[in-house]
Amino acid sequence: MATKLARDVYVIGVGMHRFNNERLASAAMADVAGMQALDDAGIGFPEVGALYNGYLGGGLTSGVGIAKEFGLTGIPVTHVENASATGSCAFGEAVHAVAGGRVDVAMALGFDDMNRMGGLGRSGGRRMGAEDVMLPAAFFAMWATRRMHDVGTTAETFAAIAAKNWNHARANPLAQRRADHEVTIDEVLGSTMISYPHTSMMACAAGGGAAAAIVATREVAERLSSGRPLVRVTASQQRSETYTDGHVFLGAVIGPAQMTRDTAGDAYEQAGVGPDDLDLVQVHDAFPVEELVYYELLGICGDGEGDRLVAEGATRLGGRIPFSTDGGLTARGHPGGPTGLAQIHETTLQLRHEAGARQVQRARTGLCHMAGAGSVCVVHILQRTEG
Amino acid sequence: MAAIQVPTDPRLFRLAEGDETRPRLLGSHAPESDLYFWPRRLRCPVTRTPVTDVDLSPEGVLYAWTFLYVPRMGSISFGDTGGYGVGQIDLPEGVRIQAPLLGTTDDWQIGSPMGLTTFPVGRDDDGNDLVTFRFEAVR
Repeated sequence: MATKLARDVYVIGVGMHRFNNERLASAAMADVAGMQALDDAGIGFPEVGALYNGYLGGGLTSGVGIAKEFGLTGIPVTHVENASATGSCAFGEAVHAVAGGRVDVAMALGFDDMNRMGGLGRSGGRRMGAEDVMLPAAFFAMWATRRMHDVGTTAETFAAIAAKNWNHARANPLAQRRADHEVTIDEVLGSTMISYPHTSMMACAAGGGAAAAIVATREVAERLSSGRPLVRVTASQQRSETYTDGHVFLGAVIGPAQMTRDTAGDAYEQAGVGPDDLDLVQVHDAFPVEELVYYELLGICGDGEGDRLVAEGATRLGGRIPFSTDGGLTARGHPGGPTGLAQIHETTLQLRHEAGARQVQRARTGLCHMAGAGSVCVVHILQRTEG
Repeated sequence: MAAIQVPTDPRLFRLAEGDETRPRLLGSHAPESDLYFWPRRLRCPVTRTPVTDVDLSPEGVLYAWTFLYVPRMGSISFGDTGGYGVGQIDLPEGVRIQAPLLGTTDDWQIGSPMGLTTFPVGRDDDGNDLVTFRFEAVR
C-alpha cells in the first residue's frame, strides 16, 4: 500500500540548460541548471542539505566535482544512476530525503551527453552474440508491430504522436529539436526508416543537457513563496519488474509494460487522485508507441483506446489531457541523466502557470513518468497549491 | 578438415548434438512454480525455490518482429541486406526469446512457426568458427 509521504514536500526551484546536440561540456551545463534552480528558489547553496546527482556518462566523481563549484558546504553528495530514469530517481531521492526528515532542502541535478556514452548491449569484452542486437529502436519497434497486429494501430498514428511532440517543442526554447514549421504526419513518415515502423523523426533526440530541481518542506516553501503558487509533490513512486507472461530476461530494454500500470497505481493511491484528475502528463516517449501505450497503462483511456485519443487530438496542447507538453523525449530531447528532471522542470512551470506559449490552461495536477533500462519505472505527481 | 564450431556464449545455447537438427537454448525449470526461464536462473524468481537445468524447445511462434535498417550488428556484417531482422519468439515452455531473424520481411508473420538455427560471426583465437543463434521461419 502506498502511504502518503511522511512530510509534505514542495518543488521550490527548477533550472535547465537547453538540451542540444552541440557536445557542450556537461559540467558547464550542470552549473547553469543548478544555479538557475537556486536562483528560482531564492536560496543559496548553503541552504541545500543534500545533493543527488543523476548522470550515466562522465566519470565516477563527476557529481562531487560539479558540487564543488556550488560551494564546499560539506553536505552529502550522492551519485544516482538508473538508465533513462536516472534524473527521475535523483529527484525521488531528494523528495524522500525531505519527506523522511533527513534534510529540509534537497537538490536533484541531472547532466549528461548521450553522444559521449556507450550504448546498451555493450558486451564488455565478451564475444558479440545474438543477445547484443536489441537496440532500443528494435525493442520498441517490436512493441509497435505487435500493437499493429493486436489493435490495428497504423504507422500514421505513431507519426501523429511524434508530429505532435515536435510541434509542442516549437514553443519550448529549451528543446533540442525546434522545427521552423508545423511538422506534419507525412514529414515524419517520410523521414529515414530506422526500425520498422519507426522512422528517424519518431526516435527520441539523443544529445546533451542538464536540469535541476530543489525540493523542501512546507515551512521552507511557504517562507520563500512570496505569493507564488506552491507546487507540492504528492506522489513519488518507483518500481522494478514483476514476473509477467512472456517475460523477457535477456535483451529487454525496459521491463514489462505492466510496470507502468503498477507504478502509476501506487502513485495515484499515494496522491489520492486518479487519472481523471490530471491536467497534463510527461512520459518516456522514446518512441511514439510508448506514449500510445502509456495513455492506457496510466488509465487515461481503456486498453486499445489510445489510438482514438490521438485521432481526437486529446493529447495535444489544447486537448483534454496534453502529453509531452515540452516536446517530450521526441523533441525536447533525451540526454540521459537530466531527462526526468526536465519533466519536473516543465511540470513545475505548467503548475505555476509560467509555461508561456505552451501553457495548459488551469493546470493544477501533473504526472511525470519515466522508464529506464534494466527495469525501472518512476512516477511523480505534482499538484499546485496556493502560496 | 572443417573448422570446429564454437558458441559465442556456451551459457546461453549449445549446438545440435547427435540426431538433433537444431541447436538448443539452455534454460531453467522451477518444479514448484512449473515456470521455465531463459537464460538460466540461480533460483525461481517468482517462488525463490530451486531450479533445474533444461534444454528448451528449438521451435516456437513469432510474437513480434522488426527490421533494423543498420548495416552491422556490432562487428557482424549482414552483407548487402541493408540491415537485419530481430524478433520475439514464444517457446512452448512459456519463455519469450529475443533474437535476430534469418530471412526478409516477407518471411515473418506474427503467429507463424520459427526454428532456432546458428550463424557464423567470426573466428576465435584458436581458429574455430564462432557461431551465435537466430531464428528462421519453419516451412
